[in-house]
Amino acid sequence: MDGPGPTGRSGHRSVPHTADLRVEAWAPTPEGCIGELVRAVVGSFADLEGARIVGERGCTVFGASDADLLAGVLEEVVYRMDATGELPAALALGPIRGLDGARSIEVRFRMADAATAALVGAVPKAVSLHDLDLSGGPDGWTCRATVDV
Amino acid sequence: MEIVLAEAGRNRWRIEPRPPMRVPGVVFATGALLPQAAGDKALEQVANVAALPGIVRASYAMPDVHWGYGFPIGGVAATDVERGGVVSPGGVGFDISCGVRLLAAGVTREEVGPERIARLMDLLDRMVPRGLGRGGLWELDGPAELDDLLLGGARYAVEHGHGVPRDLERCEDGGVLAGAAPAEVSTRAVERGLQQVGSLGSANHFLEVQAVDRVHDASTAAAFGLRPGQVCVMIHCGSRGLGHQICTDHVRAMDRELHRHRIELPDRQLACTPVDSARGRAYLGAMTAAANYGRANRQLLSEAARRAFAAALGVGLELVYDVSHNLAKLETHEVDGVARTLCVHRKGATRALPPGDPELPADLRAAGQPVLVPGTMGTASYVMVGLPGNEAFRSACHGAGRVWSRHQALRTVRGEQLKHDLEAHGVAVRPASLRALAEEAPEAYKDVDAVAAVTEAAGLARQVARLVPLGVVKG
Repeated sequence: MDGPGPTGRSGHRSVPHTADLRVEAWAPTPEGCIGELVRAVVGSFADLEGARIVGERGCTVFGASDADLLAGVLEEVVYRMDATGELPAALALGPIRGLDGARSIEVRFRMADAATAALVGAVPKAVSLHDLDLSGGPDGWTCRATVDV
Repeated sequence: MEIVLAEAGRNRWRIEPRPPMRVPGVVFATGALLPQAAGDKALEQVANVAALPGIVRASYAMPDVHWGYGFPIGGVAATDVERGGVVSPGGVGFDISCGVRLLAAGVTREEVGPERIARLMDLLDRMVPRGLGRGGLWELDGPAELDDLLLGGARYAVEHGHGVPRDLERCEDGGVLAGAAPAEVSTRAVERGLQQVGSLGSANHFLEVQAVDRVHDASTAAAFGLRPGQVCVMIHCGSRGLGHQICTDHVRAMDRELHRHRIELPDRQLACTPVDSARGRAYLGAMTAAANYGRANRQLLSEAARRAFAAALGVGLELVYDVSHNLAKLETHEVDGVARTLCVHRKGATRALPPGDPELPADLRAAGQPVLVPGTMGTASYVMVGLPGNEAFRSACHGAGRVWSRHQALRTVRGEQLKHDLEAHGVAVRPASLRALAEEAPEAYKDVDAVAAVTEAAGLARQVARLVPLGVVKG
């Protein structure tokens, strides 16, 4: 899905990479950026429109940097999909806390049963550190991740 | 880093070593097979790998090389273990021991006909777990039984009735690698792996029914158990969520510890650690466990294929060979005239043992190792054989190699149209999703005929047989 570029309020787009799935997102806040990227990745392979909601789940993700938090939240989604068969139909992120070297973020997922989702693309299995980024600028925050499928 | 690629012979290109590179980069390709897409960083990645501590001879790229992350896909790199050589989980890849297995049926395509192939594909469609959601063919009792499988690989599966002893003779390493350390496998990896033994996954993984279209070398093909027109099954998959979680866990740990070893890297996904270190041994133990999982996984899928062939066609399937193309192995190679213990990373590359190698099973020793090269569901795949004198640490290509991103494939190809076109060309398609099918369009890959020809011309492996698709089960 193509977006208007990192000048609007919030959005995401996939960008070319021969190996796997590469996604960029933008938002006014770093937490918003992470949420956009998660929505982009889930939307790239699962249509949750008619999926059965099974409940809410919460967790805290830790990382050395904001970019590592981004990878950590995505990894949480991939792990829960494989281990419990659930995918986030929606998510809410608390504020990023801590200093550089010890960052954390609280995440609440509204989970759907993955078995009731429609498959629409290659399923992600891991998040690469290659060119991983989450950074702020005068127009807001941007992030990008490469996801192994 | 600006990459200057110089032609260094027929089908051979060289990147001269400039700091921080420690060795040159060597790419086996014609001009047409070199990575072309704008922004493709495969050659830069070949140069980045050449900077790894302890790397010897060269950072190699096979003819199917394309842009990965950290390592290029189609990359081979060996590090000298006794001279501070490192192991990099990214040099193995997320899908540890992802590989290919080929089985041959006792029937030809002429004897079967399209209607029975369609019935066979319907059965496989129902029997092969794939795509989204949990579930595999083998429900393990729990983590303790998973540990046994991580130690025993395909042998554990055969011992529990999922195959026959001859299968193991036709697997690399007899279907099980020694040195697996289940204790180094995280709880998350175990949780992901418990419910996926005997499942295909998605993306480029497939189970394809093929026919031998052309035999290039009749005596070697006969030694492999292949003949013209023969119906075969090719299975491409790996170690599923378990392998991915192990790679993730160990890349993160090594990324945090790089400063301890004073290692500086141009790409975080190249995170590495000395082979001869506690972290290095822990990774190799966990990687080996995942490799055994991958082999057991392909063994279970073979069993499903056998059941479907027996029901639909009334014939059995003999294993031709099973190879891994994402792995690091400790091997002995001569470097500058001296035998050294090397950690050979093959990221999207296949080991290719030459005729006479003592590691080969007795009935293949005279012929050499089968090298399995899957192409695309619309073109062809190859069976090749290892050659003597392979400078890339006895390695060859692993497939056709992507040229399009998934993004570009989706913009160019419609899944419904692709399915229709393939069916019109006699390929029965059973996709888990039409959109995912479009991502794997044949046009998204290099010309596999050219890749096989260059692999042979570069002295990496020789063509034995060309196989064409009759039907494909896609994840």
